[in-house]
Formats: sequence, C-alpha cells, structure tokens
Amino acid sequence: MSLFDIMASILVGINVTMKVTLYGMLYAVPFAFVFGVAQHFTNGIPRLIVTSIIEFWRSSPVIILIYGFYFSLPGLGINLSAMTVGAMVLGLNIGGYGSQAVRAALQALDPGQVEAGYALGFRRLRILYLIELPQALAAMTPTFINQFIQLVKGTSLVSLVTLADMTFLAKALSQIHYAPAKIYTALLIVYFLMCYPATIVGRMIERRVSRGREVSHDL
Amino acid sequence: MTFDPEFALSILPRILSTITTTLFATIIGCMGAAALGFLWEIVRRSSKPGRYTMRFLIDFIRSTPLLVQIYFFYFVLPEYGLTLPGLVVGVLALSLYYSGYLAEVFKGGIDSIPAGQFEAAKALGLSRLQLIMFVIAPQMLRNVAAPMGNYFVSLLKATPYLAIIAVPEMLSVALEIASETFRYTEPMTVVGIIFLTLALCFSGLVKVIESRLRLSPKAG
Repeated sequence: MSLFDIMASILVGINVTMKVTLYGMLYAVPFAFVFGVAQHFTNGIPRLIVTSIIEFWRSSPVIILIYGFYFSLPGLGINLSAMTVGAMVLGLNIGGYGSQAVRAALQALDPGQVEAGYALGFRRLRILYLIELPQALAAMTPTFINQFIQLVKGTSLVSLVTLADMTFLAKALSQIHYAPAKIYTALLIVYFLMCYPATIVGRMIERRVSRGREVSHDL
Repeated sequence: MTFDPEFALSILPRILSTITTTLFATIIGCMGAAALGFLWEIVRRSSKPGRYTMRFLIDFIRSTPLLVQIYFFYFVLPEYGLTLPGLVVGVLALSLYYSGYLAEVFKGGIDSIPAGQFEAAKALGLSRLQLIMFVIAPQMLRNVAAPMGNYFVSLLKATPYLAIIAVPEMLSVALEIASETFRYTEPMTVVGIIFLTLALCFSGLVKVIESRLRLSPKAG
C-alpha cells in the first residue's frame, strides 16, 4: 500500500473526527461562557461551587473521564452512546479551560468600563453583554483557537471507546497490513493538515492582539 | 449496580501501589520536556535554517495528537530494530510532545529579558554558551515559572496515556481490576480522584512558587 492509499483509508474516519469536534464545541462554548461569567460574578460559597465544577472538568485527565463515563454510566442505569460521552467529556474539558480565558479576559478589563455602564443607567447584565464581553472577546480569541486545536487532537481518544475515527481506522489498518511506519506517518500528516491552519491563524491573531510589544533577541 | 464504597476502598492500595510509575514518568517527562524545549528554542534563535526547521518541528509536534505520537513511537521504532520498554517510549513521547509547548513558553520568557542584558553580556565578552547559561537561562526561568508549571501539570495529567501501551501505571491497574471484577465505576472513580488530587496539589505548588518568585526583586 502506498502512503496515498493509506491516507485515503484513514480519511474515511474524518466524518467521525469532525462530528466529535462539532458536538464537543456545542458543549465547550456554552460551558466556557456560562461558567467563566459565573466565576466572574459570584463570591463566597456560590463561587466555590462554580470553581469546583470547572476544576473537576479541567483538572481530571480526559482519558480517565472518557473511560470512566463510557464504562460506568451504563452500570448506573444511564446509557449514552460513545459519541455522546466523547463529545461531552472532551467538550466540557475544553470548556473548562475556555472558562478561565473568559474569566481572565473579563477581569483584565478596566473597572471604569463597568462604572461607565452604570453611569449610563444600564443594568448589570446589559453591561456584561454590551460593554464587557465585546471587549473581552479579543483577549480570549487566541486561547479559544488553541483550545479548538486541543479539541481536534483530543478526538483521537474516542478511538479508545470503539468509535471509528481516523485513529481507530489507522489502528485497524495496521492490524491487517503490517506497515506501522507508513500508517502512523500518514495519520500524523492527516492530523497535522487538519490542525496546522488553525495554528497559523491563532499565531496571526496573537500577533495582532500583542502588536507593538514584540521584541526578539537573536543569538 | 451502584457505587460500593467498601469495594472502592479495597482496591485503593492496589491502584496506589503504581503511583511511583506515574510520579517517575511525570518527573522525568518534565525534565526531558524542559531540556528539549530549551534546546529547540536556542536552535530556533541561532541561525536562519535553524529558525525554519525548529518552527516547523514545534508546529508539527503541537498540531498532532499525543495519542498518535505515542502509537507512532511504540509501533514504529521496533520496525527499525529499536525495541524499548513501554515506559521509556511513553516518557520519550511525553517529553517530545510537551517540549513543543515549552519551546513557545521559553520564547516568550527570553523575549521579555531586557535588551540591556544582552548588550552587557556582549560588552563583558561572554561566549555564546556563557550568555545562554548565566544570563538567559536564570532570567528566563523566572519569567516562565507559571506557564511552565501549568504545562508540567498537564504532563502529569497525560501520564495515564501510558496505560494504552501497557505500562503498569494507575489507569492500567484500574482497567485491569475492572476487567477482573466487571465493575468499572469504583476503579475509575478511585483513579480519577487520585489524579484530580495530584493535579490540584501540583497546581497549588506551582502557584506558591510563582508568588515567591514574584516577591523577590526583579533584575532589570
């Protein structure tokens, strides 16, 4: 088999990879905004609860969460498909990281912005989505793009819970044809081609956000 | 089938018995990742071909999944006659994967060293190696302590990947127990709690180190 043939057979699984990414985003983005804003607004015990939920999803190893939820939920009488478990776990993990970007971006804003909103007679929630979030969005975009790449790469984990994504197909292929060097090189190239554009865009945006501050010391 | 606390407690010692593997992989992995990342960053700054090669290498490492990189080393190296134990392959893959991220962290750390430091080193006639070891490295380390620590915590959380290549660490023991007893909830919960505790302790430690570094006077 040529490298090209191998890539073609691996690419059959791209729809699963993209589906998990897409469904994962449906969990990650709302989670990041709701919990990031909630952490920004709350104090005391409510904040502790919000932080605990974020830390559970952010600080647990994803691979353990996937195995854990996939294998133990049926025992507790909850039957979720591998796709749902994969998208949920990956999405909420990425959402946990995203929530920290949202909170940090909101906290970095000049407090005068909120005061100006009050002076104009806005209610708190209106200040949030008319003044704070639009400005914070620029600061959180680079993190969001990096986390998106982490999500795409993380989808390779669903191959461990029987979903036939690209990694799963590559593994299956290597059991039929003994050519691990070619097969895994092809798999690396496919993932690279998927993620590299996002890496480039992320770097461009990062440069724009930090424009005028870059220095480089060549050795 | 519900959660059985007694069963969970009974398997705790067996899972904890392999915590040394996890800690070993974490510590060696962190050291390897920092050393490789620093090397990439120094080479990236040293010449034009070095810059383009390293930029591509770093981007490639960062744009491919860790799982696939582990498979790659585990299955491809033996084809070239290099059969290493799973733990070595795993630590190698973890080091390489995180070196890509740490190189970027070090880049920021070196860029924020004041230009006067480089001029002073030149004025003193320091060699390039002396410049790197005595001027850049110590000041950079202070700048990067927080983000580097966060990647070290990520590396700790990535060590369960080693279970996939049959390294006997905590997740693989938990999966082993699960397949012996057909109970997944307890082993998974136990191993999850252990990792969560470890990760939170490590990130607490990172915060302490970060604040201590911030208190001491900054060289300028």
